Amino acid sequence: MSIVRLEGVHKVYPLGETHVRAVNGVTFSIERGDFISIAGPSGSGKSTILNMIGCIDTPTEGTVYIDDQPTSGLTDREITRLRHQFIGFIFQSFNLVPVLNVFENVEFPLLLGTEVAPKEERKRYVDFLIEEVDLTRWRTHRPNELSGGQRQRVAIARALVTRPQIVLADEPTANLDSKTGEGIIELMKKINRELETTFIFSTHDPSIMGIADHIIRLLDGNIIENRRTAPAGDGA
Amino acid sequence: MKTLLKTVLIALRNLNRQKRRTFLLGGAIAFGITIVTLINGFAGSFVENVSENFSNILAGHIFVQGVEKTADGKEQWRIADDDILLEIVAEQEMPVTFVSKRSEFTGALIFQGESIRQTVVGVDWDEERYLRERLVLLDGEFENMLATNDRGERNGIILTETIAEALNVELGERIIARMRTIAGQQNVGEFVLAGVSYDPGLFGQLSAYADLSYVNELLTLQPKQYQTLGIFLTDLGLIDQEADQYFEELSRRVNVFERNTEEEGENPVEALFEQADEETWSGVRYRLFTLNDVLSEVDEIVRLLNGAALVILLVLFVIIMVGITNTFRMIMYERVKEIGTMRALGMQRERVQILFLLEAFLLAMGGVLFGLVVAGIIMLIMSQIFLGLDSAIFILLKNGYFTFAVRPLQVAMNAGIVAGLTILAAFIPSRKAALMPPVDALRA
Repeated sequence: MSIVRLEGVHKVYPLGETHVRAVNGVTFSIERGDFISIAGPSGSGKSTILNMIGCIDTPTEGTVYIDDQPTSGLTDREITRLRHQFIGFIFQSFNLVPVLNVFENVEFPLLLGTEVAPKEERKRYVDFLIEEVDLTRWRTHRPNELSGGQRQRVAIARALVTRPQIVLADEPTANLDSKTGEGIIELMKKINRELETTFIFSTHDPSIMGIADHIIRLLDGNIIENRRTAPAGDGA
Repeated sequence: MKTLLKTVLIALRNLNRQKRRTFLLGGAIAFGITIVTLINGFAGSFVENVSENFSNILAGHIFVQGVEKTADGKEQWRIADDDILLEIVAEQEMPVTFVSKRSEFTGALIFQGESIRQTVVGVDWDEERYLRERLVLLDGEFENMLATNDRGERNGIILTETIAEALNVELGERIIARMRTIAGQQNVGEFVLAGVSYDPGLFGQLSAYADLSYVNELLTLQPKQYQTLGIFLTDLGLIDQEADQYFEELSRRVNVFERNTEEEGENPVEALFEQADEETWSGVRYRLFTLNDVLSEVDEIVRLLNGAALVILLVLFVIIMVGITNTFRMIMYERVKEIGTMRALGMQRERVQILFLLEAFLLAMGGVLFGLVVAGIIMLIMSQIFLGLDSAIFILLKNGYFTFAVRPLQVAMNAGIVAGLTILAAFIPSRKAALMPPVDALRA
């Protein structure tokens, strides 16, 4: 059963008097529990597709379905709630809140919902995630006191804290050295296996692409390859 | 609640993140609040200090004067028999410090061809000890006032420095006084300069003092007669209440001029004095007025001072608002990615706006608190400095010291205005931040 489905999605950006076609009528679906890589060179439309799946951008044409629900026509409030409940984000440049420490950054999304869990419950789960990403020692440190790899692990914990069904990672290893990058992908894979969370990440690094069990390759806004290397949630 | 606390925490830490900017903006707010609080504090004690100083000059808080209509229709201003007046004071058990009896004339003081118009107040020096303590003599002594001439008259006079200089008169020299008696006839007297007092400026006209018995003699009043009975109360706050009770009793026993007949904007004392001319009457009538009636314009000055403070506050904060708007616009651009992240993580638009507005509010409140502390310290320091009883602004001081009275409601109102204006200044940038599509914010 697909958790994400794109049907004839176009994205056109105005650029002065001309228009740039970033995504050119793509159609594909992603299964629940997938560990999927959207690959392609710069400008191929990877980030645009991730943004549309993440409901922080809207298609010019076509429809994005999340859990079989079309996202077009939703109000900003509804779409924000959908993002909060359904989707976790991992950004290329980590995007942690600089004034919050590791624990507070991870906890932050939990405070944005309409219903906030009791403090003890929040603390237990946040601490569990911090332990999962191996940052217990750094729990009270602010982002500027952490390395790039550590920051990205905080971002992973933060992305998972609301127990989302989908985690989107836009080039999560781009700002990291290869060894750290591999570590991050392995961590994502581990969580994908343990929590059965769908991970969708974009990359142009072939070595990282290989870990994915579903690869969608883009070029100039078109899908040039949509290949499954393992069944969804297989954990290969 | 938890969310709000976290938002407050983030707002506080964001303010702390840009210490220099926070300090400058908060400092500007604090400066405005300091100035306005000082003005408000000064205005707050203005009425009390002016009233107290005036009561010392006029020797009382409640005043009673007698006016007699003679057979030929002329008015003579005198209290011939004060038994009833003093009885009422005793019967009412009024909280009285002392009772003064004064007469006065306004006439020409002449010395060696120089002439100057001056009001001379006749004082019972044996009773009005406070005036002796209060008057600052630059030359001469009070004992000179008690000395008598060869006719047994206490004809010493205390003039202000300015008047003495204008007449070019020295201590011990004789001054001719030309005035009218209570019957309106010309009369001439002779004073000896017994002392030269500091000139309190605006009130110099009221500050020539002579002995009551000699002034009475010149006015052709009998020895026991005088013109104004001054009742000095223990507390300024009791003036209206005690005056009302006294007047009620007085009007039962003697003929009185009605009080509170003034029209809008008219001084109550002037209105009271006009009654004697406007009404047809005969015999003896009494008029009662209070220090508050005399100083009714002071309230207007206080209103003006507070109004000026409010205008200063608004002007200062309109300038500060421009700075705050620009700063928050800058902050928005600096944190655009952070806003995008928060929105992506599920923060609703209004929460983004609240975060910015909260930052502005906390900045304003920090500035207000700091400004109040600074104002408090300045007031404390200023109130410790003794400016002297001969200060040019003595009428505004309390025993030579500045005093300040800050009303909590006024402080709350000022804080509210500052908070409101700061939030207003931050509103447009915060709204812009809230409305920014997350994808654009993240891409910035």
